[in-house]
Amino acid sequence: MAKSLRFMTLPIAAVMIVSACSSGGTPAPSAGGGTSAAPGGESAAPGGESAPAASGVTGATITVTSLWGGSEQEAFQKVLDDFKAKTGNTATYQAQRTDYATVLQSKITSGSPPDVAIMPGLGFLRQFARSGGIKKISDLGIDPASLEANYPPGILDPGKVDGELYGIMVKFNSKSTFWYRPDKLSAAGATVPKSFDDLKSLISTLQSKGSATPLALGAKDSWTLTDWFEEIYLRQNGPDAYKKLFSPDGDWTDPTVATALDAMKSVITNQNVPGGITGALGVAFTDGIAQAFGANPSADLYYEGGFVGGIATGQVNKSLEIGKTIDWFDFPAFGGSGDTAAEIGGDEIAALTTNPGVKEFIQYMTTVDSGTTWAKTGAIISPVKAVGADAYPNDLAKKEAAQVAGASAVVYDGSDTLPAGAPDMGAMLQKVIQGQDTAGLLSTFNSAVKQAWSDEK
Amino acid sequence: MATVPQPIPTTATTTSPSPRRGLPSGVTALLFLLPALILLLVFLVYPVISTLRMSVDRGLGGNFSRFVGLDNYINVLQTPSFQTAIINNILWLIFYTSIVIFFGLVIAVVAMRVRYESIIKAVVFLPMAIAATALGVIWTFVYQLDPNIGLLNALLGVVGLGPVSWLGDPAWVNAALIAVGIWGSAGFATVILSAALKGISPEILEAARTDGANEFQIFWRIILPMVSLPISVLAVTLVVNVVKLFDIPYVMTQGGPGDASRVIALEFYKQDFSAGQFGKAAAVAVIMLVILIPVMIFNVRRFRSGSVV
Repeated sequence: MAKSLRFMTLPIAAVMIVSACSSGGTPAPSAGGGTSAAPGGESAAPGGESAPAASGVTGATITVTSLWGGSEQEAFQKVLDDFKAKTGNTATYQAQRTDYATVLQSKITSGSPPDVAIMPGLGFLRQFARSGGIKKISDLGIDPASLEANYPPGILDPGKVDGELYGIMVKFNSKSTFWYRPDKLSAAGATVPKSFDDLKSLISTLQSKGSATPLALGAKDSWTLTDWFEEIYLRQNGPDAYKKLFSPDGDWTDPTVATALDAMKSVITNQNVPGGITGALGVAFTDGIAQAFGANPSADLYYEGGFVGGIATGQVNKSLEIGKTIDWFDFPAFGGSGDTAAEIGGDEIAALTTNPGVKEFIQYMTTVDSGTTWAKTGAIISPVKAVGADAYPNDLAKKEAAQVAGASAVVYDGSDTLPAGAPDMGAMLQKVIQGQDTAGLLSTFNSAVKQAWSDEK
Repeated sequence: MATVPQPIPTTATTTSPSPRRGLPSGVTALLFLLPALILLLVFLVYPVISTLRMSVDRGLGGNFSRFVGLDNYINVLQTPSFQTAIINNILWLIFYTSIVIFFGLVIAVVAMRVRYESIIKAVVFLPMAIAATALGVIWTFVYQLDPNIGLLNALLGVVGLGPVSWLGDPAWVNAALIAVGIWGSAGFATVILSAALKGISPEILEAARTDGANEFQIFWRIILPMVSLPISVLAVTLVVNVVKLFDIPYVMTQGGPGDASRVIALEFYKQDFSAGQFGKAAAVAVIMLVILIPVMIFNVRRFRSGSVV
């Protein structure tokens, strides 16, 4: 048996070599028709050929990669269809559902990257930008200054690396949304909590009315815990301290961090969470939604970002009624300077090549056309200023867009801001809620994060 | 990347060609060896050397230009989650390997005594036909906390126990994952050991029975010693499986909760490779290689010694 396996490796290896050569060897010009401009981008081309109309090339084909599948992919396809109708260029979507950054990294390293990537996580954006994997927006012939007016202040900041614009936020969701069952709350005679103490008393009210474990939690997906921590930290300490914590100057041994974790542990308890802490650590994010909004709910409250709405109503339980069985309130306040701030998680578009069509696509993604088309699907909130509230198909999304637009400050998801080489913040928080020594965990985490920031330079 | 060495082919070692006209015998031998040598150089020697080189470089984002000596090794060995991973791999090594061999042997011996042996073996072997990823997904459902989904907690509920958070409780998670591994591999062990048992000639067993040995004595004194070689080969295979174990923890827990179910290969992937730290990742790969070398030497010796399943 071992021998026959050994012989089989020969043809397999041969196939691997051939396919590796064929995919890596040709740098995929991928321009569709014969009308494409000279390679190298038209801004660099010294006007030799008869340049097409001012709108740029038509008939080019580019590949766009991101991590959406299912309903999110269908929504994005509508945007790509509109791009084709408006510019005559084709953008083909390639889904990379899991291990997005890893696959992108290896495609860049192997020299056959997709033309455009839409990526979450600023750590990777910075890493790719510094290693030359992604192009500056200005390298495409787009003037970054001309984009500023399209967006509310601060939206373009996360896409800047060392002062240069590399990525542009194309969609986001609020992370300051706390989901609840309006029917259960009114049955218990309770109202939506304004402060964190209100939240605690709401939980005990619900418990006294027969809901044993009101707070759903999907802590197996550890990023749900990073969002919990970030919201609390933002509200307790304000946007400036929040930004500092998730920057190279951040100090995780600062007492404010432990204070925020204590607040988190005061509601995420064995009594409040279905199955207790160990139970919650075995529950995935979507199963957490089902604990509150599924067919057999065991909880009434669930904290996570604005995307919960789409997943809950579209995937977990189609019989949910917005305003009756599902709704959200602002993440409860602490009486600090961050109470009116909002945290968002967003995706940045970046160019990996300067092939014909890339500039047109990136430009298109900054327009009100793409923003409105995408917003209408209900899948996202568009950062483009001119996208009106009427673009959103339902009240949940309208409210979410209004929350962020009306926030006193908007900050970016902190764990997505940390360097790619930082230790797993979610895993650290999984240990914190189990009751392990917080000070010890934080000091280990602090030195590893510091190391990762200095590695990034 | 992760260079897991295959047993070195030993085919051409015993050739003693009679010298004829034409090429001298040494050149002929070399020509015959050449295809295998090229394959070895390309797929074994080069990757190992390249990985060693990468492991002493910072290697951030695939950029290998900053020599750091043994820093990566020191760094990796000091990482708490790597230490947890080593302990978990040892747990897997002890429990997974021994229980798989135990079940394989028991099922093979017992199945041999019944008429519907092939059916039993087919059923036990069936999980081998399922990809480990699918195995992980199936068992993730079985282990679900919600008794409406999780089969195991539904069964516990019937007898008034649980629910147990199999994948969320650090006290249970490794046992739960190892059980999945055992379920997936017991069939393989059964088939290998069953074939070995068939190789024992009936005369020996009959002679023992004639001499008055009971069935337990036959098992302990005759069957077990006679299949000890296949068992050791099987054990080596399972040990290699454990060292490069990745799929089950990756699919089922991502190494969580915290890092309670991390294993070396997952640590290598999660902490280092997907974070773009190729230097550290290469160091982990070299550590895995070093762990495997004694196993490989043992394996090659066994192959050389002749009788192999």
